[in-house]
This record gives sequence, structure tokens and C-alpha cells, in this order.
Amino acid sequence: MLREQFPGLQQTVHGKPLVYLDNAATAQRPQRVLDAIMDYYLHHNANIHRGVHSLSESATALYEQARQSLARLLNAPSDKNLIFVRGCTEGVNLVAQTFVRSRIQAGDEILISHLEHHSNIVPWQILCEQTGAVLKVIPMNDQGELQLDQLDQLLTEKTRFMSVVHVSNALGTINPVKKMIAMAHDKGVPVLVDGAQAMPHLPVDVQDLDCDFYTVSGHKMYGPTGSGVLFGKAEHLEAMPPYHGGGEMISKVTFESTVYNAVPAKFEAGTPHIAGGIGLGAAAEFMMETGMSQIADRDQQLRIYAEQALSEVPGLKMVGTAVEKSPVFSFNIDGIHAHDIGTIIDHCGVAIRTGHHCTMPIFQYFGLAGSCRASLAFYNTEQEVDVLVESLLKAKAMFE
Amino acid sequence: MSDLNKLYKKTVLEHNRNPRNYGVPESWTHHSEGLNAVCGDLVHVYLTISEDCLQAVHYAGESCAISMASASLMTEFSTGMSVETWQKKFKLFKQLMDKNNDLQEIGGLGEINTLSTVKKFPSRIKSATLCWYAMAAAIDGIPNATTEN
Repeated sequence: MLREQFPGLQQTVHGKPLVYLDNAATAQRPQRVLDAIMDYYLHHNANIHRGVHSLSESATALYEQARQSLARLLNAPSDKNLIFVRGCTEGVNLVAQTFVRSRIQAGDEILISHLEHHSNIVPWQILCEQTGAVLKVIPMNDQGELQLDQLDQLLTEKTRFMSVVHVSNALGTINPVKKMIAMAHDKGVPVLVDGAQAMPHLPVDVQDLDCDFYTVSGHKMYGPTGSGVLFGKAEHLEAMPPYHGGGEMISKVTFESTVYNAVPAKFEAGTPHIAGGIGLGAAAEFMMETGMSQIADRDQQLRIYAEQALSEVPGLKMVGTAVEKSPVFSFNIDGIHAHDIGTIIDHCGVAIRTGHHCTMPIFQYFGLAGSCRASLAFYNTEQEVDVLVESLLKAKAMFE
Repeated sequence: MSDLNKLYKKTVLEHNRNPRNYGVPESWTHHSEGLNAVCGDLVHVYLTISEDCLQAVHYAGESCAISMASASLMTEFSTGMSVETWQKKFKLFKQLMDKNNDLQEIGGLGEINTLSTVKKFPSRIKSATLCWYAMAAAIDGIPNATTEN
């Protein structure tokens, strides 16, 4: 049983079995990820890429094996296409400040979508402030789907870059990114895809998508916090200036000049989160062994079950009803504020997120301050969805 | 009674359902907006102060039950009080809501003491205190307040 491999799920909260439905905020980790982290600290603890002693060599080997595991998970052409980062936030900032900044000037346009997490909005606003570039937004409709009929005209001769989310963290909408990338490429526009919420749920093939960059966050995909990778096409990574300066990203330093190291080391200044990278590699192996299509199928079973179950809660209004959705449910209940619901159902053992989920523009569109968000993972069960529904009915009863 | 039931006790639910002094009044002399942007709690406090007395206290906004009930209780508690007295009571309220102590009630706060249960829910304390800080800001002529920092 897969669920039993996640020790974090085997606990009680307020004396009730934990029903963990906050996976879009962060997932739980399987034992093998925890073991990989512990194994590094217990048996291989050394810095990487710089020692000649045995521990340093074994730590380096584990770290680079993790990069290879992630390359296989994403179907990257080579592990050299992958840069270890702290998460998607760093992945987006890295691309903004290196690849895009070096090819943009005042009046140029950067295109994002209305469904973005703040982490795929603010780095572009900072870049626009620095360069005089203009941020454009692909609009969405009342279902929380992007209005792709407007994409073609938004991709203008001034557009220098497009950065879009694969799966919305707030609404669960799955965007047709392959089609969007093809449309952007037709206009010569390179594309970054924020895969934070896609990787835990969907098979991702960066070669099939033909994206220029793709970034994932470790802790959303059952790995450690503070870990993640950025995929980039080789020609881009070669041409891009470095992001941070420091150790490891150089091959020769004098006071007069520095020769940068080869890709991907050029982008990995300083001692990285070694245990995090190794743990993330273990998460990638876990996902491949479980099977990404099995994970995706199970997610969709749960989505269909939960959609039906939640629709039977009187007064519940779903926010975001896209046809293509991952098992993320944003909702409000008439007469009860989301924070009150969050506090009350916590006492039934149910963990959900309440608020704006770092996507304020989405809630501005709907005229809402925020919502309750139940986000499921493949290890959740139909029984847990039933507990969620019962707990919501209890919250309603308290307020009646 | 469980902590949860203590938190959402009758007084809080009743004030949430039937908020006192709710809505934007026709006139006021002092106003401040309390906003906890991360939570999404928003409360406007409108005061009519004359001769150093809180003649009228109103509030409006959209927030959770804890925040709404706290504001409703605050308006009833404060109306008719001198500004100086209110500021002393505000100091007591801050002591009551300080999570570093176990105080459940403080003399002179009356029904406001019902809010002390919120201390068992640390992430919700800022909801209960927002309107009070907004009112203190309004008295001081400061247009905005938050309890998220």
C-alpha cells in the first residue's frame, strides 16, 4: 500500500486521524526520501565536487545520481540540462535575471497568465522595473480557464518571453501548455513553464512539450523543502550569463577576471542543499517506480469522487470549474468565512489551506478575499473526502 | 466544553450573526482601515469623537467570525467612553490577548474577556485584535493598521 510509505500521514490531530488535504502547499514525503536524507548525513556527509577523499566522492556521486534521476523523470536530453535550485521561485528568478534580462529592453513585452502564482508574477515585475519592459497577461474566464483565443494577438512582435503555469495552485486548472508553447514558438518567443503543481500529478516530458525552461519544486513532489530543479535547453544554458557568483561556478579566478565553470555548475554557486538534492532524487525515483500515469489516473479518480461529494454540501460554491483539472478544490460556503472553516475542520483532523493561496489576482477576478482549498494527492482516499464533507457539514451546523 | 466550542461560543456566533454598529455611518470624525492582507481580513473603524468622548463607534468590512465578533463587541464596549479611558482599556486588551500569558480575564474588560479563548488558536489572534488596532490608529489619525507584522 503506497499510503503506508508516508509516515507523515500516520498521525492524529486533535485526537482524530490526520486527513491531509493541503498537498498544494506542500506534500508529505515517503520513507525512502527521509532515508536518503538521513543516509547522506550519517554515511556520506561531505562537501561535493571538491574533495579527493572517499566521503566527498560518494557524496558527489549521490548528488549527481539525483540529477540523473530527475533528468529521467522529466525526460530531459541530459542531466546537464538540469540546474539544482531552491524551488520554482528560484527557477523563475534565475531565468528572469539571466536569460531574459540579457535580451530585453525598454518597451519589450513579457507575457504571463492570470492564473500565475505570485512567484511567477513578481520576478517579472522586478525585471520590468529594471528594464522598462511591459508585463502582459493572458486573461481567464469564469471557469478559471485561460482565454487562449486571445493568445495569438497577445504574442506581438515586442514579446520577448512567455512564462506560464502548467497547473494552477489555486484552482487546479491544467493549462494546455504544449499548444501554448507551439503558439509562442511560431512567433519566436521562448517559454518557461512553472511546473510546481504539475509534477506531483502529471507525467512531464520536457522534450515533448518543447519548452525552453521548466521548473519544479521538490517539496510539492514528495521531496524535501528548499530543493528543486530548473530544466533549460542546452543552447540557452550555454549562452546565459551566470546567476549568482561564488565558489563552484568558476573554473579559474584571478583578481583581474574569472572564467566560469561549465553548465550546469555555472549556475550553482556555493555549497548547495546537498541532502535536499539527494532527497529530491529519491522522490523522483519513488515517482517513476510508482508510475506517473498511475499517479495521474488515481488523481483523476479522486478528483471525480471529490467533485461529486463536495457538490452535495449545501451552500458550497466552487471557485474554478475548468474541464481539465487536477484534484484541487477552491470553494467558499455561504455565511462562513474560510478561516473559520479552516479552524473548525482542523478539529476534525482535516488540514486544508485558507486565504488567497499566493494568487491574489485570481481572487480579485472573482471578487473574493480568498477561499478554502482542499488539494489532494494520490495517497488520499475516498474515505478522507467523506471526512472532509462531514467536517464541512459540522462547520455549517455550528454557524446555523 | 472543547476549545473549539469555547472559541465559537454563543457570544461570538451571535455577534457574528447580528453585528452591532455595523455599516458605514452617515458621518464620522475619525476613520482607519485595518487590513491583514495575508489573511484577507479587512475592517474599517469609524469614530465620532467630540469633547474627548467616543460618541459613536461603527465598523464595516469583511472578515472571519472571530474578527467580526471582536469588532462588534468592541463597538458596544467603547461607545460613550472617554478617549483616555479607552486607551487604558486598549492596554488591558493587549495584555489579555498576549499569548505569552494565561490570563483568561481582566477586570474592567467585561464581555471582551470572552475573546481570550482565541489565545489557544495562535494563528487567529491577529483576527481578534485587528479592529482594536484599527480603532487605536483612527484615534491617532493614522489611516491604516495591520496586526500581521
